[in-house]
Formats: sequence, C-alpha cells, structure tokens
Amino acid sequence: MLTKTESIVLKTRKYSEADLIVTCLTPDKGIISAFAKSPRKTRSRFGSSLEPLTHAKISLWGKEQSMPKITQSDIINSFHELRDNFHDFINMSKLSEILIALMPEAAPNKKIFSFFLSILALIKSSEEEPKDALFIIAQARLLAITGYAPRLKGCGKCGRKSQNFYPDSGAILCSKCASSQYVRLNEAPLKIADRTLGFYTHSIEWPIVTSRRLKPHKDTLTELSAVIDMHLKYLLNKKLHSSSFLAGTERE
Amino acid sequence: MNSGIVENLINELSRLPGIGRKTAQRLSFFIIGMPKEDAVSIANAIIAIKENARFCRNCFNITEDETCSICLASRDKSKICVVEEPSNLIVIERTGIYKGLYHVLLGALSPIDGITPERLKINELVQRVKNGGVSEVIIATNPNTKGETTAQYISQILKPLGIKITRIAYGLPIGGDIEFADEVTLSKSLEGRKEM
Repeated sequence: MLTKTESIVLKTRKYSEADLIVTCLTPDKGIISAFAKSPRKTRSRFGSSLEPLTHAKISLWGKEQSMPKITQSDIINSFHELRDNFHDFINMSKLSEILIALMPEAAPNKKIFSFFLSILALIKSSEEEPKDALFIIAQARLLAITGYAPRLKGCGKCGRKSQNFYPDSGAILCSKCASSQYVRLNEAPLKIADRTLGFYTHSIEWPIVTSRRLKPHKDTLTELSAVIDMHLKYLLNKKLHSSSFLAGTERE
Repeated sequence: MNSGIVENLINELSRLPGIGRKTAQRLSFFIIGMPKEDAVSIANAIIAIKENARFCRNCFNITEDETCSICLASRDKSKICVVEEPSNLIVIERTGIYKGLYHVLLGALSPIDGITPERLKINELVQRVKNGGVSEVIIATNPNTKGETTAQYISQILKPLGIKITRIAYGLPIGGDIEFADEVTLSKSLEGRKEM
C-alpha cells in the first residue's frame, strides 16, 4: 500500500552496500523506521533528502506490519544550516535521541511533530551564539510534551517548597516526604538553586517565543542540564550517547 | 533442494554485502564448475587477507606489513588526505591526481550512535601533524551529515596548529542534470563555484 506523509529524519543507519535504514518522525504514524534503496550512491534520486533533520514529504510502500520502503522524498526544508554548525547539530542529535528513546514507535502524535518542527525552525532562525539556553528549553519542553518531565515545582508528594531533586522519584521531595517509609530512594539528591527552578518553570510554562528571551546565568544552564541528564539516565537506565559526546567535545 | 555442502556454500556467500540468495546460488554453481586450483586460489586469498591484513601504523590503511606501500613510497609528505575508510582511499588513488599521504579514520563521528572522537583515529592524526612536516590537511570525509560533522571537528582541533586545512568540494556529479539536483547540493555547489 502506498502512503504519503511528512517526515523529519531523526537518524540514519547504513544498511548493505548503499542502502539506509531511516528513522523518522511523522505526524500521522509517529516514529517509524523505513528502508531506502541506494541513497548513498552519488546519483541517487533521493539526493540529500534523507539526511538527518530534513523535513520532507515522503512516499512509503509496504504492509503495515513490515518495514516500509521509502520510494520518494521531496525536501520541504533541508535545515542544512543546523547540520553545518557542529554545536547545533550535536544538540539537535540529543533532542532526536531523547525523542527516539521516549516515544514509542508507530504512535502518532501531531503535537510532538509540530513541536519538533517548530524547534528546528526556531534554532535555524536564531542568531544568538551559543544557543545553549534555547536547547535546554527545548529539552525541558520535549520532556513535558512527551509526559516525562521531572517535577521540579515544589515537593512531588506534598507540594511543599524544597530544592532537593531525587532522580529515583523524578521529582523534588521535601525532607519529610523523602524520609517517609513509603518512599524508597537509592540515589543521593541534587540540590537545585532557586533561580534554576524558576528558569525551568518558565521554560515549560511560558510560550517558547517568550521563554527564549530569558537570559539565564551559565551556572543555571549547567545545573538544569545536569538535572535533565540525571533524570533521563534514571528513566532510560543508560546515559544518552549524545550527552557523552557533548560533554567530551566541550572538555576539549 | 541442494545438498548439504552446496547449501552451506550458498549460506556463507549470502553473508557478503550485496549478495542475495539468488546471486549466492549462482556463484556457488560457478565455483562448482571452475577448476579446483582456481577455487583453492580464491579460498587461499581469503585466508591470506584474514591472517595477514593489518592497519598501517602511520595512516591506518590496510597493509600486510608494518607500514603501507603509500607511506613508504616517495610522495609529497607535506599533504595528508583524511578519509573515513580504506575503500575511500582506493577510489582517490584511482584518480591519479593526488600524490600526498593519507590518514584513514576508520569511521565517522556520530553523536546519536555514540561514535566519539576517541573511537576514531583522530588523536593519531593530530600527533602526525604535531610531529611536523605537514603543511596541508585535506579532509575528504563523505559529503553527508556524519562526514561533515567529522570534518568540522577535525578542522576545529587542527586549526590551532597553524596548518592549511581544506575540504574537498561539494558539487554536482558529472554527467548529471541540474534539473534533478536537490536544493542542498545545488546551493553548496553555487557557494563553492570557481572563477573561469
């Protein structure tokens, strides 16, 4: 059966001599993996339309249960500017990796598709360098939109004000709730500064066009990034590849 | 239905890239029909490459000695062309234009797959440049996202060493038609246009 849909390429994997397995986000099929015949050949009809972060209109051929084959792909927006900037591309890879890890395959979600597309457009049009604040806001919002956001607005049990984040519970807990016999905590808490908690709340509650105007301190971004990484590590039971990559390249 | 040994050969050959079951079957019957010494020669060549092939200690090209024939030949040692795989080196050599040395990275960076700089031969490249005598590094990684990310990273870490860093040009394939080029390839080829 032939179907046509929009897609954003999240990841590609070499297959056989010149083929690719493309993981992409679509509005009406969710995240799918599809097979593309010979896109790595110089004269392939796909051109650069299957490169990561490309927004394209694709045609898929195949049965529902098996891996579909991409028969055609026309670029809507290549977003090649994001691939040409080393720092932007690594950060976008992190967002793609979070999305692949948290979103189940073949679960359509138009809201997530629109969100991811708007982030690509926003980062492309942003002239600030580095765009660290924008990427952290995007990560926080992506977690919120997928339903996996850490609860950092007051104690996750009773709502009382606290600053100790417990990755085991994915939330801030007050001392009373943390010591409760019903809560089993293995990991030590991370104390979060008030300004970081404020920035996080604004990041997920305000419209992105407003929250991107925030100019957080570098320490705030470092702290929030650590919280998100810690939360994801606990959720996924592994560290994200792109987080390690980012940490490694920033050290140099 | 094929007998056990024929079936085994078909199965083994179909493990090779680009060889499906039908091709494997055709190859198997061709091998059955060929003189014994030719078949043994093919088998020996496979065994020899598995037992003797190793990476050149300078450039990581495939060789049977410590150092590959390209590194030992009298070539322009002031230029290093960086490629992802040994197969890329062979294609560039076939052009006959490039007379310098090579450096094979044995892969390309990919943040999402966890392919970090430490997993490639990038530190070894930096060391070669630091050892002196190199005036230009030509980055010939693949013109795709992974290759471009690798090229940008290498350029970043080599820049402080004060050598010339160049990237192979982007453009349209010869014999192609502009009408069928995608916007990214076309815009890159316009950016990299040459004066006539």
